[in-house]
Formats: sequence, C-alpha cells, structure tokens
Amino acid sequence: MRVDVVHNVLKLNDALAQQIRADLRGRGIFCPNLISSPGSGKTTLLERTLEHFRGTWGQAVIVGDLATSRDAERLAEYAQTVQINTDGGCHLDAAMVANAMPHLDLDGVDVLYIENVGNLVCPVGYDLGHDAKVALISVTEGEDKVAKYPRLWREADVVLLTKADLLQYVPFDVARFYEDLRALNGTVPVLEVSSMTGQGMDAWFEWLTARRESPNAQEPAA
Amino acid sequence: MHELSLAEAILPSVLAIAEEHRARVMSLTIQAGALQMIVAESLAMGFLAVAEGTAAEGARLIVEPVAVTARCRRCELVFGVEDSIFLCPDCHVADAETVTGNELVLLRVELEPCESMSSTTS
Repeated sequence: MRVDVVHNVLKLNDALAQQIRADLRGRGIFCPNLISSPGSGKTTLLERTLEHFRGTWGQAVIVGDLATSRDAERLAEYAQTVQINTDGGCHLDAAMVANAMPHLDLDGVDVLYIENVGNLVCPVGYDLGHDAKVALISVTEGEDKVAKYPRLWREADVVLLTKADLLQYVPFDVARFYEDLRALNGTVPVLEVSSMTGQGMDAWFEWLTARRESPNAQEPAA
Repeated sequence: MHELSLAEAILPSVLAIAEEHRARVMSLTIQAGALQMIVAESLAMGFLAVAEGTAAEGARLIVEPVAVTARCRRCELVFGVEDSIFLCPDCHVADAETVTGNELVLLRVELEPCESMSSTTS
C-alpha cells in the first residue's frame, strides 16, 4: 500500500522557530544568527560588538559548541550568556534555543545574538526563530569556501569578510571571492572587517543598528 | 550534513502513518533539493539506525533529488542553476529567488499490513 504525504521534514523545527520569532518580536528583541566555519572569528566579533553597544542596548548571547563552555566564559564578561553544548551535534535547532531561553533574563534585552556551531553546512538548514542570518568568512579560510558551500551565501542577510587586516599576508583572492559570491547572491551586503584592528567595524555596527530598527524589512530564509 | 538528525526528524511522521494504517513500513521516499546537500547513503543508513525496533525497522529510504532552479527578480525568467551559479542568463545579475532545490519533504511511504495486527482485525 502506498501513502502519499508531502510534508516538510523539518516542520516541527520550523513551527517552534516561528513561536520563538513571535515571542522575541513581541518583546521587541532583535535576533541575529551568526554562522561560519570554526575559527572564522564569530566569538571575537561578538566580544567587540557587545563592548561597542554596552550601555546602548540590553544584550544577551546564546552560543553553541560541540563541547566546553569556553566561548560563554569569554562572552559572559560583556553580557549574559548561555552555552549550549550539542554533544557532537553539528548545528543548533529551534528546540535547543527554546530550552536555552529560560536561562536568560530577557527583560530589558534589545538584541539576542545566537552564535551557531562552527559549520558552513548544517546550521543553514535550521530556522532558530532569528531575524537575520549573519555569514562570516575569514580571509585565512580561502575564497573557495563560497563556491564550495553555496547555500549559506544564498541565504545570508549580510556577509562579513573577517580578519581583513591579514589580507596582506595570505593568498586570499579577493576578486575571485566577490566573483563567486556575486554569482550566488548579487544583492547581499558585504562588509570587510577586522575585530583586531577595528577596520570596517563601524559599518557592521551601522548594519546591526539599521536592521534592528526594521527587522521585518526582509523575512529571513529559514 | 546532519543526516542522522534528519532521520530522527523523519521517523515520527513515518511511524504515525504506519500506526494509522496498522502496517509496517517497507520504504519511504524523501524529496531532497540539491541545495540541501543531502548524502543519500548517509540518510538511508541513519534511518536504518533510528528505526531499529520500530514498525519502520529495515525500511528502505529512497532519496528523490530535485535540481536547482531560480527566478530572476528583474526579468522573471526561470532558469536552471548549475555549479551554484545563480546569474540570470539574460540580465547577467544574481538577483534571483530559489524556485526549486531547497525541498526536504517526506513524499510517500510504502506499507505492508502488519500480520499480528491484521489477524486481530480480520
């Protein structure tokens, strides 16, 4: 006997993500989801970002890693932080975020950052209830990561080219990077930044500020 | 990719259908868009693992691939995407929404009446 069904494999995740999004928007909280490979500078970018907006916004962080609470210990110096250990899982899902949220005092929070597990593939498929996907690629990874892992760059709301201060030392082909990225996504804003020197960071802070003011401007791709 | 966690997400739906029809699952078909980057063998193996001891034990998981197509936001042309190049062949700009290629859908389930259950109903 054959039964035709046609239903989304991730419908439970997506339904929970919509609840999280509605909850956060109801509280006026903007939620960016940071996705990149391990070591591209998500945590350091967040440290500089939390520092910059301290006193301006109430901020909180949910950070995912396979193991250890090292990132949460770093970020807790700047804002309340919850660490999710996925125990080998390659991505965060909406249930993990929903379970982490009660560990934060969200009263007075304006921005809840989610630092996803370092991985260019799996985190892209899971809606977490975020307002925007922030994709990072560091110059030390090589420009070919754009063409090799296409989906993230398709769905990103902003792309940060991190460790830009190291461009002079590494053979990162900037022209090829833009060529590959523009073949995937001709409209996504690209910001060249360095958390170490501060290069380009004002543009990132401006993007966050503008996007927080109009999170509904663009519905995020799941 | 996260094939094992996808297998875990698929299992409850498949078991619910099996229970509704009082049947065992022989096979299931998953439609997977190329952008999902699903490894069919890993998903099938992951499903075998999570379905052990259930009405879907030993079921064959078939992946039906879907090619990527996109629609240009400027000229509305729908075009096939190869090698992740979303450039409109007419406008030469990648300002295109994905039409197909993002699917991840349980499409159909093949069932066989469960003997112990059918004997009680017949």
